[in-house]
This record gives sequence, structure tokens and C-alpha cells, in this order.
Amino acid sequence: MILESVLLVFIGVAIGVFAGLIPGIHVNTTIPLIMSLSFLLPSPYYLAVLVISVAVTEMFIDYIPSIFLGAPEADTSLSVLPGHRLLLEGRGHEAIKLTILGGIGSLLVSLIFIALLANSFQYLYEVTRPYVQYLIFGVMIFMFITEKNLKKMLSSILILSMTGIFGILVLNSYLVPAQEVLFPSLTGLFGLSTLIVSIFERSSIPKQKEDSRMLISKKEIVKSLILASIAGIVVGFLPAVGISEAGTMVQYLGGSGESRSFLITISGINVANDVFSLVSLFLVGNPRSGASVAIQGILGELMFFDVVFLIGVVMLTAGVASFLTSYLGKIIPKYLEKMNYKVLTISVIIFITCLVLFLTGPFGLLIVFTSTSLGLLCSFLEIRRSHCMGILLIPSLLFFTGLNEVVFSVLGI
Amino acid sequence: MKRDFLILICFLTSVVGLILIYIAAINLEPKQIELKDVTPELVGRSVLTSGKIVYKKTHATGHLFLTISDEDTKIQIPLFAGFMNILKEVGLTENDFEIGLKISVSGLVDEYQGQLQIIPRRNGDIKILND
Repeated sequence: MILESVLLVFIGVAIGVFAGLIPGIHVNTTIPLIMSLSFLLPSPYYLAVLVISVAVTEMFIDYIPSIFLGAPEADTSLSVLPGHRLLLEGRGHEAIKLTILGGIGSLLVSLIFIALLANSFQYLYEVTRPYVQYLIFGVMIFMFITEKNLKKMLSSILILSMTGIFGILVLNSYLVPAQEVLFPSLTGLFGLSTLIVSIFERSSIPKQKEDSRMLISKKEIVKSLILASIAGIVVGFLPAVGISEAGTMVQYLGGSGESRSFLITISGINVANDVFSLVSLFLVGNPRSGASVAIQGILGELMFFDVVFLIGVVMLTAGVASFLTSYLGKIIPKYLEKMNYKVLTISVIIFITCLVLFLTGPFGLLIVFTSTSLGLLCSFLEIRRSHCMGILLIPSLLFFTGLNEVVFSVLGI
Repeated sequence: MKRDFLILICFLTSVVGLILIYIAAINLEPKQIELKDVTPELVGRSVLTSGKIVYKKTHATGHLFLTISDEDTKIQIPLFAGFMNILKEVGLTENDFEIGLKISVSGLVDEYQGQLQIIPRRNGDIKILND
């Protein structure tokens, strides 16, 4: 069993690397494809190992396309993402290493927190459940008031409202199957819109420096890892509150807005949230991520030793994936420097659009057209892209306040 | 000026997209299939099907759980408390869903604890076909 599991981890890592390097492919798109391979595996545990190793690997590898593609000109764009900022300084590999540090560090720190608080999670879950709508509303208010001026606050309300209406329509209609609808929606809001902005601005990535030392103090690393681990677990309790909102809140409340600590924090929240999602299957009996929904479907009710086994799989995968992410993050920019960045970006845009059409049909294309327009609108208004999470925040707020049926009835959907 | 123009264009294309999605959403009907054809592959998709009520259970919190069947297949139809309130507006209560009645139901196919279910959401999603 152990030998087969290790072998499956390596197969999962290979699939995760391939899927992670393709821009726009989220782990929730890959997992249903993996699940369809279940007939090839003799035990549900093997399928669970494969799902986890693919999901964890993609979490690390995903930073390579997101940092090396879609970078705007630093002097023309006011809202350069932290990873792009370091890329423009020739420090793309450092940015990758920071995300690895955040992922591995918070994996260890969050496991310590989870072990210490394990007995309290069921209580915390039940206590917070009646107040979830207030917490979601609080997050939305926080996102508004932390914009720089009144004009941007009003712009953020516009984006949140429009993406909220978009979310209500696409999540509650028959246009695209429920498990596939987030693919065209999030791809347009966060992926294609970023790539389209960059093709108007950049013809090549700047030459990357050989020196990839992480220029951040140990104190800042420890602070980022602890905050990321706590935030990752808290996000697990709050439906619809995403990694980017949590990252912004942590940076704001933690008093540190520097690109390097932001990258550690974002990656750390992502991994801590995924670890908590897995453990919450055992502690709370409620899956909190696409991967944990799949694991629940495969294994049913988890026992303590199942969780220990799966955490072992997560740790082994994270070790192998972080090594590969660092290696690929070093060699890929050498090829990108020689390529025509515009041609590459346009090719990626065409590829993603074809993938949307292939996986979700013509209605998926309509959804991606609208979500890309909304993402571009957010970009040109020069406000934080995380306001686009209105797509999940507003429908969740309606659900938890019990207003969703009223809204559906008014809209006739 | 250029930026303002781009903002206007993106705003207009977003609004047009939202309107088209809305028109499609209110006009698109779920796929009509036989109950025996509701399989795990349809999880996440919307279907319209029909069958006889063979089991009925009311939950204290207001949910009503039905099971419908044709000759070989059984599918669960959970009618949650919020949806039951919507049905009340069109004059349907839990007493109207008697065992043996044939109903049509449309909604999202889901899987819960290994059992397939169809979850209706709108008041027209569930209809009694005979008395």
C-alpha cells in the first residue's frame, strides 16, 4: 500500500505540474477529470492519494504562470500585482521561492494550530454558523473602506454589485452544469482580463537576475507564516471569502504591505486553507474545498488514521512539488526572455477561450465574455481585483440571510 | 481620456453580457428525460423527469423528503423548508404530496450519501400530474 501510494504521489505530481503550468486551469477543473479515472484504480484510497497529490502540486505550480504571464508595464499600470512587481525587477525566481516558502511554512504551522485547536473546531463551527452573513458583510465593508479614496470606494461598490448580479445569474441558472460554472466565471474575472491588459503593454519579460536570494527578514517571514496559517483556517469557516480577500485583510491588519510578505501570505493562506479543508472532513464533517468534496465522495466518513495518512500524502507531495516549482521557476523565464511575450500571451488567451468552449459550450463562452469584461472594468478602474469576488460573496450573503428565494422570484430565474 | 473610453466600453460590454445571460437564464429549460436515465453522470446538470411518490417523510424543521420511482429506479426529491414556503404561495402544502401520486419535477441532479436526488428550486419545478 505504501509503495503504491508513493508511486501514485509521483504520478499525481506529474499530472499536477502539467495542469498547473496551463494558465486558467484551476484544480477544480482537474479533479473531475481525475475522478473519471477511478475505474483504473483498485482501491478508493489510491484515488484519494491521486486527487490530493494533483491538488497540492497545482497549488504550488499555479504560481509559475500567474507570476510569469500577464505582467503589465510597471510605469503605466497603477495596480501591479506583487508577483509581477518582482518579475519586473528581474526577481521572478525570488517571487516563486517566496510562494514555496509560504506554502511549506504554513503547512507546518497550520498543522500545529489545527492540532492545538482540534477539539474546538466543531464548537467554533456551530457558534459562528448563525453569524456567517454578518461576517461576510463585514468582509465586504472592509474591502470598500480600505480603498484609497471615495472615487475608488464607489468604483469598488459598482464592481461588487455587478459581479454579484453576475454570480446570482450564473450560479442559479441552467446555462452551464453547476460543477463547471466557476471555470469560465473565474477565468474571465481573474485570468483572461489580466492577460488582455498585458498584451497592450508588454512585448517581453525583463531579463531575470541570477541572484534569487529572498530579500526579506526572518521576523517578517515568521509573522507572515503565522498570520497566513490563522487566516487560512479562518477562511475555512467562512463560505465565499476567498484567499485574496483574506490576504488583503492580513496585510492591512498585520501592517505590512510589502510584495515579498504578501506572496508568502497568499501562498500560506492557500495551503493552510487546503489542509484545514481536509482535516475539517474529520473534525466538522463538512468539506470546505473542491479537493475535500472529492475526498468525501471517495472515502465517505473519515477516520483519524485516514486523516493522518492523507496529511502524510500532502506533506510528501508538497516536498516534491516545491522542489519542482523552484526548478521550473528558474528555467522557464530563460525561455520566456527569448520569446515574443505578446505572441505567447495571445496564444494563451486563444487556448483558454477554446478550452472554455470545449468544456462548457457556447453558454460558457457568453459567461467568459461577460466575466472578462467585468475583470477588465475592475482593472481600468484601478481598484483591487478581489472586489470581483462579489460573484461568490453576494450569492452567499443572500443564502445566509434567507433572501435568495425572494431575489430568484423577483428575477424569475 | 483613453482610460475613460476603455472604462465605458468595458462597462457597456459587461451590461450587455449580463442582459444576455439573464435572457438565456429565464428562457432555458432543463433537459427532459426518463427517471431511469437519471444517472451519476448527470450530477450538476438540470433535468425534468417524472415518477410516482413511493415514500414521504416530513422533517421537524419544515423539510419534506419524497422519493419518486418508476419500475426500477428510485430518486430522492428533497423539498427544503424555504422551497416549501414558495410552494405555499401557489397553494401546495405537504398534504398535497400523497403516496401514489405521479409528479413531474425539474431541478439540479445531486448525490447525497450515495443516493441520487433532484433538487427543485422554483415554484414551477414540481407539479402534480394526477389526482
